[in-house]
Amino acid sequence: MKNKLDKLVIDGTEYVTEVPENSIKPYEGQQDPSEIKAFIPGTIIDIKVSEGDLIEQGTVLLLLDAMKMHNEICSGKRGLIGRIHVSPGDMVQKDQLLMNIIINK
Amino acid sequence: MSIKKSVNDFLTRLSGKLDGGGEKAIEKQKKKGKNTARERVEDLLLDEGTFLETDLFVEHSVKDFGMDRKELAGDGVITGYGKVRNRPVAVFAQDFTVAGGSLGRAHSKKIVKVMDIAAEAGIPLIGINDSGGARIQEGVESLCGYGEIFYRNTKLSGVVPQISVILGPCAGGAVYSPALTDFVFVVDTISNMFITGPQVIKTVLGEDITQEELGGAMTQASITGNAHFYGKSEADAFNTLKKLLSFLPANSKEAPPVSKPILPANPLGDDVIPDNRRQAYCVKEIIRGIVDASDFLEVQEHYARNMVVGFARLAGRPVGIIANQPRVLAGVLDVNASDKAARFIRFCDCFNIPLLTMVDTPGYLPGADQEHAGVIRHGAKILYAYSEASVPKMTIIMRKAYGGAYIAMCSRHLGATFVASWPCGEIAVMGPEGAANIIFRKEIAAADDPEACRQEKISEYEEKFANPYVAAKKGYIDTIIRSSETRDTLIKVLSTVRQSRTGHPHGNIPL
Repeated sequence: MKNKLDKLVIDGTEYVTEVPENSIKPYEGQQDPSEIKAFIPGTIIDIKVSEGDLIEQGTVLLLLDAMKMHNEICSGKRGLIGRIHVSPGDMVQKDQLLMNIIINK
Repeated sequence: MSIKKSVNDFLTRLSGKLDGGGEKAIEKQKKKGKNTARERVEDLLLDEGTFLETDLFVEHSVKDFGMDRKELAGDGVITGYGKVRNRPVAVFAQDFTVAGGSLGRAHSKKIVKVMDIAAEAGIPLIGINDSGGARIQEGVESLCGYGEIFYRNTKLSGVVPQISVILGPCAGGAVYSPALTDFVFVVDTISNMFITGPQVIKTVLGEDITQEELGGAMTQASITGNAHFYGKSEADAFNTLKKLLSFLPANSKEAPPVSKPILPANPLGDDVIPDNRRQAYCVKEIIRGIVDASDFLEVQEHYARNMVVGFARLAGRPVGIIANQPRVLAGVLDVNASDKAARFIRFCDCFNIPLLTMVDTPGYLPGADQEHAGVIRHGAKILYAYSEASVPKMTIIMRKAYGGAYIAMCSRHLGATFVASWPCGEIAVMGPEGAANIIFRKEIAAADDPEACRQEKISEYEEKFANPYVAAKKGYIDTIIRSSETRDTLIKVLSTVRQSRTGHPHGNIPL
């Protein structure tokens, strides 16, 4: 089994070697607290806030039914509710954007 | 009853048990390309005529859900002992043709009994898994059965070798018995292991994935690292298993079996690795040039391929080999390679198998994903395993042995018995390029031609430190040898040092 050779730099030295798929994953960065996303696929059961609401850090925004649990999704920051992209009953995928929060800097 | 009548009665009862779930179920099993549990034990695993079966007449005593009307031959598992290449082993094989090989109380008691036999006799335990999982009708009794098996897997760990062969489904809690054993075999298109199957994943998460992608043989061998050996067929897997056993002692108190020495087919010359340290080569070819008959049994061939581990012999004596693989990821250490090496080292130390470490690594793989995946705590396992090991530990530095990776790859500082370097060895805190960039940063920046200055400084550093002599002067390596002398040197060491471990006994925790 001869696989393709690539280049890999370690401590300034460039090596010619095989770099298997997924062996080096780029850092995706921290999640943006102004975007509320589904951490797991599931169904939206209830939305607890409306667009324009002032919310505190930790306010429950919506309930997501997944893994046989009603999971509370909370805000990580204080701010205003921006757009809400989902309605109760919607099936959502992992990492799907659910709502935006306008965070006061 | 007359003797004759009782014998006939016995033979009738016996024949009713021997064909497991009966003709139709066997036909179904065959259609899936699978052998029956009995064929696996008697034809594929054990030497002919050596199987002594225990508990064939065991029956369940469940009354609920109509179970009182169900007779399950052997309660879905075949147990006993026999010989592999004339050496005794204990064995159990789940029989999918009987109630889907589901595990109930009687089934688990049979397995527990054979595990206790393995412990008492000090012989390897081989488990063949082919089961739909817990027998739901038996409720918590079934869970009790799994728990008692896990308990014994753990207590037997490091005492006798334990080997699992996955030859069918092995799902849910059932996966944890194999995961606790030393080696797991899987077979193409036949084996499946997962905690939650594709259907549950579809229902709960809405994700589509096939059984094969999720937990098939190659997935287990290459992605998860749960499996150690991948077979193309059941027969192929059992042949490899027999070969594996040939390297292992029956238990932790015995020395591994010694065979007749055979010279390697292509002994190493003095020109075996590329001149350029940046150029890749396959370390397995080097290993084959050193060991008896060029015969190397690789463990976890498809997983964390930047680290190569496996068994071979030197002048007839089994050794466990751990080698950086420059061909893949330049032979760096990373999370998976650390786990792979550490567990293999600890297995060898459990069973008195000397270690041979072949070093050519530029260091640890840089990156946020490695740091966040815990390369610190995983990397620490190699240091722990080598330091803990009290079997003879021999190290050959082939080329690069830089920084923390030099320490980790069984350096003198971790208690190596013997360390040698080839003349092209580079034992240094880092590679010349990186070192020159740091040490001479200001000079390079201030130079009229920084690149020329950089190259000059790299050469200067290379001349001074990228060699084995600095370490040899300090006695950190015992000797410098030509690559062609490697085999003879290692054999000399092995024939001189103590033959078994001196440290305290330990188990082989899954890492």
